[in-house]
Amino acid sequence: MLNIHELENKHKKYKLKSFAPYLVILLSITIVLISILFFLLYDLGSNTELNKSEQIAQKEESQREENSTSNLTQEKNETLQKEISIPEIVKEVPKTEEVTEAIQKKVLLSPSLNFIKSIESQAPIYKEKVHKTAAIVEQQIKKPIQKKEEILLPAVEEVKESMAIVEKTGSIDIKRRDEEVDIKHVIKRFNINHNPALSLFVAKKYYQLEDYEQAYNYALATNELNNDMEASWIIFSKSLVKLGKKEMAVETLKKYINYSSSSQAKQLLDEILSGKFK
Amino acid sequence: MKPSIYEDSRDVFLDTVDAKDYIQLERISTIYQVLKDSIKKPFKMVLLYGKPGTGKSMFLSKLHESIASEQKAYLYKTPILDESEFYKTLAQDLYEIRYDGELNFTQFMRVVENRELVEAIVPVIMLDEAQLYSTIMMEKIRLLSDTRKVKFVIALHKTEKEDIIAKEHFQTRIWESIKLENALPSELKIYIQKKLMKANCIDTASMFTPKSINLIHKLTDGNYRDTNKLIYTLFDIYHYYAQNTPNKIKRNEISAKIIEMAAIHTGLINA
Repeated sequence: MLNIHELENKHKKYKLKSFAPYLVILLSITIVLISILFFLLYDLGSNTELNKSEQIAQKEESQREENSTSNLTQEKNETLQKEISIPEIVKEVPKTEEVTEAIQKKVLLSPSLNFIKSIESQAPIYKEKVHKTAAIVEQQIKKPIQKKEEILLPAVEEVKESMAIVEKTGSIDIKRRDEEVDIKHVIKRFNINHNPALSLFVAKKYYQLEDYEQAYNYALATNELNNDMEASWIIFSKSLVKLGKKEMAVETLKKYINYSSSSQAKQLLDEILSGKFK
Repeated sequence: MKPSIYEDSRDVFLDTVDAKDYIQLERISTIYQVLKDSIKKPFKMVLLYGKPGTGKSMFLSKLHESIASEQKAYLYKTPILDESEFYKTLAQDLYEIRYDGELNFTQFMRVVENRELVEAIVPVIMLDEAQLYSTIMMEKIRLLSDTRKVKFVIALHKTEKEDIIAKEHFQTRIWESIKLENALPSELKIYIQKKLMKANCIDTASMFTPKSINLIHKLTDGNYRDTNKLIYTLFDIYHYYAQNTPNKIKRNEISAKIIEMAAIHTGLINA
């Protein structure tokens, strides 16, 4: 005799059992897809924020660059308009030599090459210009010294141009003031949105302006906001060294290397330990 | 559709071995013809093997029914395991000799050898479930068939043991060896529908769609015995619903749910 009710219950159980594996697979696929989507959206969000801040910083830099180049061209034009005789140039040659020597000294005092590479991407271009002009002045001025009598008019013009640029580099204080205004502007923005990209930017700027204490503070703030930013740890450690806290810098770098195995951090640590970076 | 149609359809699938219920399927018909022809050939023994429920018993039954009118043919559906009893039954059936006492193999062999064939027609003994006979007994059956005074058709399950029997005792002397297999889905459909139509259950026969046949085949693997059991239960469930809750069943096609319920009840699905 059939017990239909029992049979129906058994059938329900059987159906549930047979659908269970499909349900599990479907659920796991859904969970995986949702998590992938979530991570993708999260990544996109953070990237766009970073990109925005970077773009703003780049815009500001390009504006500054434009201003400086327009100033330079104006001055160039002014200098070119003046009629200059060859003996006068010869008289001025020692002046340029003095300036180049000063620049060379600066180069000697600047941080290691690796440090320059690390900040090269975000460093203001006018600095590079200064280095470049220094190199140009070196190359082009040495020639007139050696061949004073053979100086031709185009060469004289070049020397004049470089002179103007060198004179321009003499007005670095004015630039720095602009820089400070910019930094304050960025700091204001940072205080509003606490974006680590902005604080890192400020830290770098202060480091370039040799205000190591501020560079240290902003690098620290950046690390607190995001402890995965290699550049921030590098600036932080460098600032510490510059502030005379070499041991603390070494310790910090070691911890960071353990955490991230960053090659740049390793290099800096080696340089600090070997005394290359002071 | 009257509720009793399900009852009638159910009874069609009662698991009985009756030659009248034999369903002519193309592949089975071919095999049956081979078996029938082998009886006429001078084979000493014919081996019919296959998994349980593939229709061996039905084949023997059908063959017996078919040839019994033409020649001496005896079907032993259950094995006679007592040796003396086996010889005595054979003596009684083949030569109408009745033995009250014990009859051993030597005595029976003498009887068989001394008998002349009537019109040179060898009588046929059909042994179903032959895997139950001992190896020694099988050897003696083989020796009896060597006299060419009696022919044996042996039906047995295809298991390892049967393979050994086939190898050790019959390999050199056989003969004809016929293997029966489970039905294909298309064969199963014909089998079910023919069976129902034979009993005049045309309405229920048309309820079997290819989908339901495939499900039944999946559950039974085309085994005739399992199919009979499953469909018997299936129509039993239909009968119950038709009597108690007729709105629960569709009348135009067999429901997969009821097939599965029948399979759970018959143990084909372990729920």
